[in-house]
Amino acid sequence: MTNRSEQPGLVPIEKIDFIAPIQYEIAKGVYLYHMKDVPNETSRFDLYFDAGKCHGDKGISAFTNGLLLSGTDKQNSVEINESINALGGFLESGISVENSVVSMYCLRENLSAIFDILLDSIENVAFIEKEVTQLLSERKQKLKISEEKVSYLAQKAFRKKLFSTNDFYASSLEEKDFDNITIDAIKAFHKKHYLNGLTKIVIVGDIEESIIHQIINRAKKIVSTSTGTFDGSLKNEIGRTDILKEGAIQSAIRVGRTLFNKNHEDYLDFLVLNTIIGDYFGSRLMTNIREDKGYTYGIGSMIAELNETGYFLIATEVGVEVKEDTLKEIRFELEKLQNELVPEDELQLVKNYMLGQLLKSADGPYAMTDLFLSVELHGHDLDFYNEALKSVKSITPERIRELAQRYFKWDEMSIVTAG
Amino acid sequence: MITFERFTLENGLKVIFHKDVTTPMAVVNTLYDVGARDESEDKTGFAHLFEHLMFGGSVNIPEFDTPLQLAGGENNAFTSNDITNYYNVLPVNNIETALWLESDRMLSLAFTPKSLEVQRAVVIEEFKQRYLNQPYGDVWLELRPLVYKEHPYKWATIGKELSHIENATMEDVKAFFKKHYCPSNAILSIAGNLELVDVKSKVEKWFGDIPGGKKTVRSLPKEPKQTEFREKIIERDVPTDAFYYAFRMVDRLHPDYFVADTLSDSLGRDKSSRLYIRLKKELDLVSDINAYITGSNDEGLFMISGKLNDGVTFKQLDDALTEELEKIKNDLIPKEELDRIMIKIRTSRTFEEQGLLSRAMNLATNELLGDANKINEEDAEYKKINSEAILRVANNILQKSNCSLLKVKANSND
Repeated sequence: MTNRSEQPGLVPIEKIDFIAPIQYEIAKGVYLYHMKDVPNETSRFDLYFDAGKCHGDKGISAFTNGLLLSGTDKQNSVEINESINALGGFLESGISVENSVVSMYCLRENLSAIFDILLDSIENVAFIEKEVTQLLSERKQKLKISEEKVSYLAQKAFRKKLFSTNDFYASSLEEKDFDNITIDAIKAFHKKHYLNGLTKIVIVGDIEESIIHQIINRAKKIVSTSTGTFDGSLKNEIGRTDILKEGAIQSAIRVGRTLFNKNHEDYLDFLVLNTIIGDYFGSRLMTNIREDKGYTYGIGSMIAELNETGYFLIATEVGVEVKEDTLKEIRFELEKLQNELVPEDELQLVKNYMLGQLLKSADGPYAMTDLFLSVELHGHDLDFYNEALKSVKSITPERIRELAQRYFKWDEMSIVTAG
Repeated sequence: MITFERFTLENGLKVIFHKDVTTPMAVVNTLYDVGARDESEDKTGFAHLFEHLMFGGSVNIPEFDTPLQLAGGENNAFTSNDITNYYNVLPVNNIETALWLESDRMLSLAFTPKSLEVQRAVVIEEFKQRYLNQPYGDVWLELRPLVYKEHPYKWATIGKELSHIENATMEDVKAFFKKHYCPSNAILSIAGNLELVDVKSKVEKWFGDIPGGKKTVRSLPKEPKQTEFREKIIERDVPTDAFYYAFRMVDRLHPDYFVADTLSDSLGRDKSSRLYIRLKKELDLVSDINAYITGSNDEGLFMISGKLNDGVTFKQLDDALTEELEKIKNDLIPKEELDRIMIKIRTSRTFEEQGLLSRAMNLATNELLGDANKINEEDAEYKKINSEAILRVANNILQKSNCSLLKVKANSND
């Protein structure tokens, strides 16, 4: 008979092979990273621009990004999209607080041709009035739809509290922004942050080196000459805000605080604490608030990183009638970690889980590239993950409690509900 | 080309093994041949609720997730109208833990009252979060019964109404398990850097002694041919008017299935598709428009949906849309356009094939359709498609009498 009551033996993860992409310098401080070892025909390239929201709020960074393929003097937007689609390209483009990233997925045989089309479109975009008007009306409608969602309302209010010390970081798109924007302002933003704003290129795919050099030569014209200036002293506004949404049957909840990024000495150990509280299915928050009480479909926590700092966030949506109970339980779980040591078996489980996930996030050229980019941003190399392996393996319950006491104080949190 | 081996245990469990030497991870994917279409009309949402209960402990193991996490793995599951699919991704060295867990819950569940009580509450919150508390969230709850009058596609996976989930009893749960969760009704797909003999012996060890059960024979009512245009208007607190044209189309195994997929790409996959260019860029009628197929195993839907620009009427949209549909029904699509669609299909299929999990899953869903190798024949299916086939299928599908239209009207209270 097969013994079903005992788990089969486990093999611990001792070592993970991390592979770095090849690095080329495009200009001073601006690099192209090429992950060449891809065992199939797929490829991707990303263009990073110093054109995030922190350089211009009131919608200008988002609108400019949305208009990058809206047409030049020679080709309208439909023609540009047709030529990219005729080469099988899938475009993804968007902004974050500190970045604008334009990504393209395609077969490797078409990468070079699509790159040329894309760069030409970005360099020569004419900001035709009709295109601008269409984009603005589309975005305005999207904003109105978003504002019907409690998750969006909570996120918006949370960002305002989280980044309370810097208006550009804290702001969200408002309806009035659509009336105040001018084509001249968009053109000026484009000139400063795109025509002189390229900060990085990433290529994944089995691409010949000669093509890489052509891309570097093409890109030289638009590299960023300034070193990005990002806010490192962001500080969250403590306390609670409740947003009323008539008729909502669920409330969105956000609890969090400004914190740090990979450059802080507590970062690696905090990752373990974050996993325990809310970053896997068996986390304290999931176990209590979903699996024991059934208040929610899901609850989770994360640590998000910016160039010079970072933040910690807990997010969920719960039935409106259990909003206060949920907040009480979140607080209870944060404080329990400050008062009690994590049991050894729970800590062992989290360690094993995290190592398995690290193995998975290093699996394949695309995952490996993203892993690399996440350390490169903060000036580290892949050795950072060997440190992470060691640190996860050796962390103690006492150290976890110490970090919870330092960073999980309820009266240092920003709390938002919407619903 | 996805290579694989296939074998069947004596109890009827079908097993697919796909070898990949490049990855340190493994996938254990279990597909059960049961979906929302197998529910009775007074107990809808049950297949999905049951999926949640599959994580509440099995006969010999108190909890599913903990041992898997200890093995460095993670898992999830989904339910559709056609199937229920469970997957585990974990370091290949620890694959036996996944086989142990999956086999034990195929053997029998713990059926604890607490698990039922909690998961009922969780699913109700899921219902609210995804369908009731989102703008346009209830569209499919309205659209399905408009299109389907007989076939169980008339209700959504989440269920027709909250009360069906609230009223689920332990007897219902046990009966559902007995009927659908057994080796003869499942396909196990394993992927990773393993040897076939090893996979065979491990699968035999963990799954071999589970009673085979009876393969349920499905006899679902066939949806009669639609003969008249249907329309429903609902008013909601949403910022803008939205439209959902649902045309009936063939089932997944019909030779025209991939042609319909290609036709939908031509009309509305991307920013060089016909409806996007004409209705959005040229006429300024919509902010957003898409065409796609639902991809269901039984006769599915060909959808055209989007949102109106402010000040545009449904009538203006309908006139312009009809004109575009007439064009594709009357004129062969140019070769250049067909080439453009085909390279996008080829590109997205190449990307999809990259992921270990998607390979394991696709092998299982194709095996359910009759042969795992169908996944490798899809390229040839697409290559066969020409402009004449698209014209013919456009004329089969895009008829007014074959269409149900759901209009969501914005309440003008702002």
